[in-house]
Amino acid sequence: MTNYILRRLAELLPVVLLASIGIWAIIYAVPGGPVGSILGENATQEQIAALTKELGLDRPMLVQYFDWLTHALQGDLGVSIRSREPVIDLIAERLPASIQLAVGAILVGLAIGVPVAFASALRPKSWLDRALSGWSALALGVPTFWLGILLILFFAVELRWLPSASRYIPFWQNPVEAVRNLLMPALTLGIYVSGILARFLRASLVAELRADYVRTARSKGLPERQIVRIHVMRNALLPFITILGLMVALFISGTVVTEATFTYPGLGRLLIDAISGRDYPLIQGVIVVTLVMYTLINLAVDVLYAYVDPRIEYS
Amino acid sequence: MKRLKRSTGTLMKLVSRRDSGPALLFIGVVVLFAVFANVLGFDPLKQDFLHTLEAPSSTFWFGTDELGRDIMSRVVFGARTSLVTAAGAVLIAGAIGVPIGLIAGFFGGWRDTALMRFIDLLLALPGILFAMVLIAVFGRSQGAALLAVGITGVPGFARIMRAQTLSLRQRDFVVAVESFGGSSAYNMFRTVLPNAWNQILVQAVVLSSVAILVEAALSFLGVGVPPPTPSWGEMLRAGKSFLHEAPYYAVLPGVILTLSILSFDTIGRALTDILENPEDESEATEEETVQKPALEDAR
Repeated sequence: MTNYILRRLAELLPVVLLASIGIWAIIYAVPGGPVGSILGENATQEQIAALTKELGLDRPMLVQYFDWLTHALQGDLGVSIRSREPVIDLIAERLPASIQLAVGAILVGLAIGVPVAFASALRPKSWLDRALSGWSALALGVPTFWLGILLILFFAVELRWLPSASRYIPFWQNPVEAVRNLLMPALTLGIYVSGILARFLRASLVAELRADYVRTARSKGLPERQIVRIHVMRNALLPFITILGLMVALFISGTVVTEATFTYPGLGRLLIDAISGRDYPLIQGVIVVTLVMYTLINLAVDVLYAYVDPRIEYS
Repeated sequence: MKRLKRSTGTLMKLVSRRDSGPALLFIGVVVLFAVFANVLGFDPLKQDFLHTLEAPSSTFWFGTDELGRDIMSRVVFGARTSLVTAAGAVLIAGAIGVPIGLIAGFFGGWRDTALMRFIDLLLALPGILFAMVLIAVFGRSQGAALLAVGITGVPGFARIMRAQTLSLRQRDFVVAVESFGGSSAYNMFRTVLPNAWNQILVQAVVLSSVAILVEAALSFLGVGVPPPTPSWGEMLRAGKSFLHEAPYYAVLPGVILTLSILSFDTIGRALTDILENPEDESEATEEETVQKPALEDAR
């Protein structure tokens, strides 16, 4: 197992390196680049030369990249061009907000998705199954930004129960306000999650219910409820872990659109702001950190998967 | 001729199904409006400052926006933006993804490893982030939006095509061409590719729904097709500022957007169903069904 984890980590390195080079190349290959966007169109030649030197952009491209890389490996992702604060601090500041939203969304997704999947899988092709698969299609198809707008219209504008712009309040500081602020974005994302979870879980439940061991259990005269709870659920929930893990990874790295809809201060908003302000070190930093977290969580999920399912052995 | 007959047969099945029939009808109406927008007298740019933020009425079916522009006209022209972006993105994604999957699956070995690693790299970055970085670099334009949305669809095509090629590669008629000395290029493009059209078609339909969503999301974030070109996402973005005064402004374009996405998705799934369960021969297996790039969606 240790070997497997080490090998996966070793495989991860080139992907992150390549991605960071790719982002680097895209950003710096473009005429104008950061200097032009900071100074604007009316800058004099001297100003451009001075800033280019200040940012170290007059050095050869490779030198610049390795300079960035050696610093990045030591946890220094440079300084934001706009706010002049260390990129790593800006990211660390937004990360808890993104994690809180991710957790909220997954909880909502589970609360809706799991019952939907069970209800439809236990009676395949019934009217309930059809109706619920319609729900999944709807949950997956509705754009989150439109769903978010509808929720704001209803809960904030009509009923005035919830704030239309969601702030980040740490849950342990003020649970009530935290939930009030988190409810709409978590619901918006959670409905989407429920669609995915319901589809996957229904498929694996239906497959498991047709398995030989279920037939054996039935012929032994076990009550259906016990078969489902003791035998089927365990097996069906396994593939579920992967999906869930992927989604946690995706959401922690920021949910750009949902965060924009509710002006929620997570990593996604940080990236949008960085992009619209052409804050190149910040863009690069956010993307690389996102990528590392995404792949690490994926690895953790695979390891966890082997842990819960003794049949899987990684070598 | 036989192929044509089969295509008509598939289309008839799509039309007569309870799920894809209405979806096709809806897409058909949207396409008609988008194509004949000028003929029908819609003007998305005409400002009328005596009628700003007016609720839907017999004159303005969908109401007016903050500049007194007719929202219905803008929705109709927004359909153009969406459909053009979707079609272009699907073409780009297919033009890059299909050859990648074909070569990777046909040759295997180092080419397979290298190409699929590249695809993994594309997949590692959430599509919308990648699209946003591209647009940040190239600036906002219809072309940039098209390219950005198109690239997010490349992995889907590459994976489907690779899976198809891997299974077709083992089939007798492909092996026969090879043993008769047919070149690899001939074998790939004249033997394997034509037999994978069905899967490519399904993927194209499904990707259309994703492309419409991603385009709207980019516009909603303010990095899509630049104004004053009407776009559904841009309308939702603008409408969001007037939720108190004019709720219909953000709601109505969203209805059309959502119905379009759902319709393409429904048609895609119905098509999979029809192609996988034909009365005569059934060859598709479970693993070959469409893998909607679900987790890379714009959320």
